[in-house]
Amino acid sequence: MTVKKSDINHICDLSKLRIDENEISTFTKQISDILNMINELEEADTNEIKPMAHPMNMSQRLRKDEVMSNNDRDLFQENAIDSEDGFYKVPKVID
Amino acid sequence: MERFTLKKLIHMISQREISSAELVSIYFQRIKKYDHFLNSFITLNQESAEEQSLIADKKIQAGNYDLLTGIPYASKDIFCTKGIKTTCASKMLENFVPPYDSTVINQIKNSGAILVGKTNMDEFAMGSSNETSYFGPVYNPWDLERSPGGSSGGSAAAVASGIIPIALGTDTGGSIRQPAAFTGITGLKPTYGRCSRYGMIAFASSLDQAGLLALTAEDIAIFLEAMSGFDPLDSTSVEEPVPQYSDSLHNSIAGKTIGLPKEFFNNSLDTESQRILNQGIEIYEKLGAKITEISLPNVGYSVPTYYVVASAECSSNLARYDGIRYGYRDDNTKDLDDLYRTNRQIGFGDEVKRRIMTGTYVLSAGYYDAYYLKAQKVRQLISNDFEEAFKEVDLIIGPTTQSPAFNIGEKIDDPVSMYMNDIYTISSNLAGLPALSHPVGFFDKLPIGMQLIAPHFHEYQLLNFCHLFQQETDFHLQQPQAFLDD
Amino acid sequence: MKWETVIGLEIHVQLACESKIFSSSSTKYGMPQNTQASLVDLGYPGVLPVLNHQAVVMAIKFGLAVDAEIAEKSIFARKNYFYPDLPKGYQISQYELPIVFNGSIEIPINDKSMKTIRITRAHLEEDAGKSIHDKFDNASAIDLNRAGTPLLEIVSEPDLSSSEEASSYMQKIHQLVRYLKISDGNMQEGSFRCDANISLRPLGSNVLGTRAEIKNINSFKFVEKAIEFEVERQKAILDEGESVTQETRLYDSEKNETRSMRSKEEANDYRYFPDPDLLPILVEKDLIKEIKKELPELFDQKVDRYIKQYSIRKVDAVEIAKNIDIAEFFEALIHHFKENYQQAANWLLSELMGYLNKENISITDLTITADASAELLQKIHENVVSTSMAKIILKQLIETNDSVDEIIEAQGLKQISDRGQIEAIVKEVIELFPDQRDQYLSGKEQVLGFLIGQVMKKTSGKANPKMVNQILLEKLKENRRR
Repeated sequence: MTVKKSDINHICDLSKLRIDENEISTFTKQISDILNMINELEEADTNEIKPMAHPMNMSQRLRKDEVMSNNDRDLFQENAIDSEDGFYKVPKVID
Repeated sequence: MERFTLKKLIHMISQREISSAELVSIYFQRIKKYDHFLNSFITLNQESAEEQSLIADKKIQAGNYDLLTGIPYASKDIFCTKGIKTTCASKMLENFVPPYDSTVINQIKNSGAILVGKTNMDEFAMGSSNETSYFGPVYNPWDLERSPGGSSGGSAAAVASGIIPIALGTDTGGSIRQPAAFTGITGLKPTYGRCSRYGMIAFASSLDQAGLLALTAEDIAIFLEAMSGFDPLDSTSVEEPVPQYSDSLHNSIAGKTIGLPKEFFNNSLDTESQRILNQGIEIYEKLGAKITEISLPNVGYSVPTYYVVASAECSSNLARYDGIRYGYRDDNTKDLDDLYRTNRQIGFGDEVKRRIMTGTYVLSAGYYDAYYLKAQKVRQLISNDFEEAFKEVDLIIGPTTQSPAFNIGEKIDDPVSMYMNDIYTISSNLAGLPALSHPVGFFDKLPIGMQLIAPHFHEYQLLNFCHLFQQETDFHLQQPQAFLDD
Repeated sequence: MKWETVIGLEIHVQLACESKIFSSSSTKYGMPQNTQASLVDLGYPGVLPVLNHQAVVMAIKFGLAVDAEIAEKSIFARKNYFYPDLPKGYQISQYELPIVFNGSIEIPINDKSMKTIRITRAHLEEDAGKSIHDKFDNASAIDLNRAGTPLLEIVSEPDLSSSEEASSYMQKIHQLVRYLKISDGNMQEGSFRCDANISLRPLGSNVLGTRAEIKNINSFKFVEKAIEFEVERQKAILDEGESVTQETRLYDSEKNETRSMRSKEEANDYRYFPDPDLLPILVEKDLIKEIKKELPELFDQKVDRYIKQYSIRKVDAVEIAKNIDIAEFFEALIHHFKENYQQAANWLLSELMGYLNKENISITDLTITADASAELLQKIHENVVSTSMAKIILKQLIETNDSVDEIIEAQGLKQISDRGQIEAIVKEVIELFPDQRDQYLSGKEQVLGFLIGQVMKKTSGKANPKMVNQILLEKLKENRRR
């Protein structure tokens, strides 16, 4: 199975990636090879089989509704390259 | 240069033969002397380690200390360490300093062990050769032109060369076991949910597990106790009590049954590797175990199943890396879309991009049923196969890898060929089972590993079998030539 | 061509939990930016979600109140898309297996009949943060305090046929979540948000037309206006023979129009898949039973009970029960004042609510207790004070710390109900105004008002108006007989 360049472009749109023009062919071929390998799954007989939710057959544990203050804005924002006045900043978005 | 086991270090400390400060100093000297050959460390924690060793020594002198007090260890650079750079070997997190410790790191801190540094790895744990790291590849101490395996290549090379006694790794599809096999050391991936994933940077959430690389099963048993246990911050963490793994190391295995999956032993290995493995199996027979053939009929689908599930999960897990709250951020972006794409284009390496793209594709509209849903069903089939098998046998044995360590650069341009490296290891991640690799011999002077797989929460059994094997053999004591001199 | 309107509403309700749905940060509104955003809320590397018990309980409460099925097993799924107010690059929501499904609710239409609106599902999810576009000149500001707040998304079938029905349904759900105390329903603070899906189809057809989605409507009035505008807009397009574009639009309340949202990518493929960091939620039958037992009395039951148990007029019962806070105040009031429930209702609705509406405060901001109000009511009931005096006392009660008795004493507001006293003053007034007396006696009955006014003036308003009226008439009649 071959994936087309337009598929690669679409995938990049969905995942906010960008591939340079000169690399697109390589990536397209590599992804096609990977998908070819993945396609072997078609042969497995999964009639009547339920998809596995988790390796352990467990259910979600529930946490008590109480506030534990673990916020340290200034410390956290040391990791943000562009923040001001306690806000994170991004290029202006027009709705 | 003697490669000290953890056991030996603990003994030396308790006998006051050496202080923690001296130990820490010795290891930093070794790292300075040998690591530029290996490139196994990304960040060293020297100043803090030295301070901690002084505090440890006071405790030791006062007689008020724990088993691991003052013992140096290294951590794969995927575990968040408060105040210490944690990069995941990616440009995206090149300067990221977490404001918190992962649970596993915290637990180990409380046990008294001292973090010496963060080891190199494949970027975001995606790879089987430690060649995708932003900080350059790691080199195999047995042959510096070869890969030590991945993604926990740095931890493996550091332990195998003797520049650190024990190191944390993570295993999503074989990333502890395969490097352990390539570098002639012992590596354990515990049961899924045994160790907390909180603070362990996520690659594939339903497959990732924290584990250990060390020289012996005994060393792993000691350290595993410190890092295991239920964590309320991790919904996938299991409330299973942590046994004293060291206590059951010496149990006899007479009468236990070992299953050899016929799918693992049918022509995929070359004759020499097969012979070496058979010798290893004979040793288990000598120790009293019964060998029988079993079948895991669907295990052949492991690699495609894994690549669907792991890619899908990672494509979503890595969406948070946008440079807005942390991480790489380019100066010059014109709008929001440009911001996202530029940061992620520059921040991520090629393998990471490939996996994100594959994952996005298999989850996308029209493909979900054929790929993701199908893969989760096949995953159930594989898991069922193991469950059936464990009704007949106590343990399963197989190869860890198809061949010994390959040359750096040999497979990096062919992703699918690289993925085939994980063919024996992946299925235990899919089923959440604990698995271990230990040295079983040499092929052209390169180490070969043998893999043991046990039922859920039967780590003690893996360590028990391996320990007895290591009492009978000396493969695990062989050291890479280049690192023998002091 | 006659067109029929088809509307479905998606209502996002912020649940009144103390902490967020997947982290232990506070959900308190209005805090300084990013001071309530923990590492989990910020989507830091390595963090993981753990589900809040109370959010599950609240979802189940809602499900039971709308006769829905509660899923024994439900799953959280990731909805993947990129936006700066969504730190992880995905929202944890529910997709294929929501916790609540197949419910319904009745809404009043035309004051007479009820219509059943089916509720397809209600599911749990996390809220996103906020982006503020006018804080900086060349950048948008992101505040993640709200990220992770528990939401219950309630989705109706497209059973609504008009803007009035939509508003009625929205109000009914609003009332319900406040009754259940699972949300404060504060639309100004974003606790209750509504998206409307609107399409038209030829009258009689049962095929759905192309719909437009109008996002984030935050008042009952606006939902009506937005829908009205949108229906006209779509009608105009369809009448031309063109087709409606499936898109997301925003309602502009100032211009009273809807317009297309440019930044939303319509072709967004959310790639839903079960969140591997969370496990399936299993709800035990025992938990459902327990919650069902503790469900509070709902609106319809309360109205019935007021009518049957307290003999209050239906229209008043409805007015009081409409707002759970008022209903609770009323019930506390009549706990202390049992003489005349209808009188209590009247006083509450006209006097107390009148005051609150004038001052533009809500009953929950009221500083006086039901106790004190009951005391005041008691005085009114016993005719110790007149209704106009009571108005003054009420104001004083609210504005000071004094008790009813203290106020009456201090201001000398006791009503004059002493016959002798009133008679004397009435006599005085009649003598003072002989012309008006004569006018009344010759048939000009409206002059009575003037005379009553004069008596009230002489008593500084304290005379019992009923008695004044009665005695004045008596005395005037006596005059006639002479």
